[in-house]
Amino acid sequence: MSKSYKFVDHTADIAVELIGGSLEDLFTAGAEAWFVSVAGEIKIEEDDMLELELSASSKEELLVTFLNELNYLLITKKWLCTSIQSIKIFDDADGCELSAELKGVKLKNDIQLKQEIKSVTYHQLEIVEKDNDYSTLVVFDI
Amino acid sequence: MNVGGIELVKVRENLWEIPQTGQMQVPGRIYISRDMIEKGLKDDEALKQVVNVAHLPGIEKYSLAMPDIHWGYGFPIGGVAATNLDEGVISPGGVGYDINCGVRLATTNIEYERIQNRIDDLVSKLFQAVPTGVGASGAIKKLSMIDLKKVLTKGSVWALENDLGSSSDIDFTEESGTLKNADTEVVSKRAFERGADQVGTLGSGNHFLEVDVVEEIYDAKVAEVFGLFQGQIVIQIHTGSRGLGYQVCDDYLKVLLQASKKYGFKLPDKQLACAPIKSQEGQDYLAAMQAAANFAWNNRQVIMHLAKKVLKDTFSMTESELGFKLLYDVCHNIAKIEKHKIGKEEKEVCVHRKGATRAFPPRSKMIPAKYQGVGQPVLIPGDMGRYSYILVGTEKSMEETFGSSCHGAGRNLSRTRALKNAKGRDLIAELNKKGIAIQAKGYKTIAEEMSDAYKDVSDVVEVMHKEGITRKVAKIKPVGVIKG
Repeated sequence: MSKSYKFVDHTADIAVELIGGSLEDLFTAGAEAWFVSVAGEIKIEEDDMLELELSASSKEELLVTFLNELNYLLITKKWLCTSIQSIKIFDDADGCELSAELKGVKLKNDIQLKQEIKSVTYHQLEIVEKDNDYSTLVVFDI
Repeated sequence: MNVGGIELVKVRENLWEIPQTGQMQVPGRIYISRDMIEKGLKDDEALKQVVNVAHLPGIEKYSLAMPDIHWGYGFPIGGVAATNLDEGVISPGGVGYDINCGVRLATTNIEYERIQNRIDDLVSKLFQAVPTGVGASGAIKKLSMIDLKKVLTKGSVWALENDLGSSSDIDFTEESGTLKNADTEVVSKRAFERGADQVGTLGSGNHFLEVDVVEEIYDAKVAEVFGLFQGQIVIQIHTGSRGLGYQVCDDYLKVLLQASKKYGFKLPDKQLACAPIKSQEGQDYLAAMQAAANFAWNNRQVIMHLAKKVLKDTFSMTESELGFKLLYDVCHNIAKIEKHKIGKEEKEVCVHRKGATRAFPPRSKMIPAKYQGVGQPVLIPGDMGRYSYILVGTEKSMEETFGSSCHGAGRNLSRTRALKNAKGRDLIAELNKKGIAIQAKGYKTIAEEMSDAYKDVSDVVEVMHKEGITRKVAKIKPVGVIKG
């Protein structure tokens, strides 16, 4: 497993470069960058698990759908995804599908989050496969 | 001048054109000074985004940008584009996630001198009354689905019907606080879920509620019509449609990405996903966006009502002593069907304003009777440590910018750089020293939103003033700030 994320300076929003040895690693790096963006460096005891199945017409759309799903769970269900237990992505001519097990925690009122991501955007989003690595830039609107 | 590979040709002192090349349907035009180009536009993608917007099918005249232009997604922030209703498109990228993010400003009879020792108390009570921060909720009781649907259909009128406003509040809201073609049937369940407990909440980031003082009057005649006087306390509110709007944008970006493929549009950025306005997809987005816009107007109305109550209680004033009146409520993230002159004829077009404010002139049928003689108030927030402006719309904005002006200062530093600059400083003490009381959910927001992180809004306003698009009426400065 090889994955990494790096925040890139962006005047108004959050831009992050994701790299992964597989699509799964790339998506996991995206989830980690998302977590750091919304929750910062806080340590939270994760005690809950949630299964997720998503589909989209392209890899890029699937990445946005996936990260926005984490956002939706946080804001609406007050459920914070802290890490990805497992993730599998299927990508073929008919579209893309994802199934994942998320580790997380139901938030209590005393946890102060870092910031709200309005949404994950499609701006400049293009997943490129090169030398067995997948990479993309993704912008979070905050 | 060549900026990052994009040619800028000077048209006037503060107006620059990007010539039409390649697949651009129209040229680009940016209202900005040379100095602002050199300081702020060299290192980001904003000019490229002006070019990208010029590719939209059916775009009329120019892909425009106001002087607070900066890097957005899809459209630049500060971008304006009008598309024709026949073969033109509508794009969520031209509206943004925070649908009908906007500003309202209420005037009072209170003179700053009378209450300057009580600002801390006032700010503290405002902070308790108006929920702020990430996913803020619970300003008023969680709405039932029936009530939420009414909010989405009626906008500010819902607040009026629920004793959270007065009829004059409605009169002094852009579009009277309701876009009539909103349709709740095309708003997703998720959007409803995200909005249900967020009515009357500010949220986080650059949203705020400020207690300001009128510091300087530039145009006495217009200021009198607006009910402004030097030393007056006014209340300024900046927020939008909260999670409901973000979700509507998300939902329809997906729909319009498919639609762009279906209609064969070749777009330079996915975030410019769009559909013909006439198409079912376009009409559905328009109706859902209008519903979110109505939510936002109602949100600002409820927040203002909560703030008014705090002022009344804090200073033990009667309605007439307080004299609380909404000056105007403007939106700066929206797409609206409006009539504009294209060539020699007046046509209906879809005006996208992404970080731009409507600035209609005197005698416009779209502005309140009270402002017919002078033009509509245009509210331009600056940053929490300096000042904001009240401007007035002019005829020239109708001739050149589809009745639009700037919307704010625009960021100068990324949030990361702002945090670095804030290290070792006590920003609250710095603000207090300037006579500004502040309460926020977290210190980080204060650091990210500090003055240094923003351009000087007076530079932005000055460009529009010199170009005659909007004229300066008054400058206000903050004395109390609440943020997320």
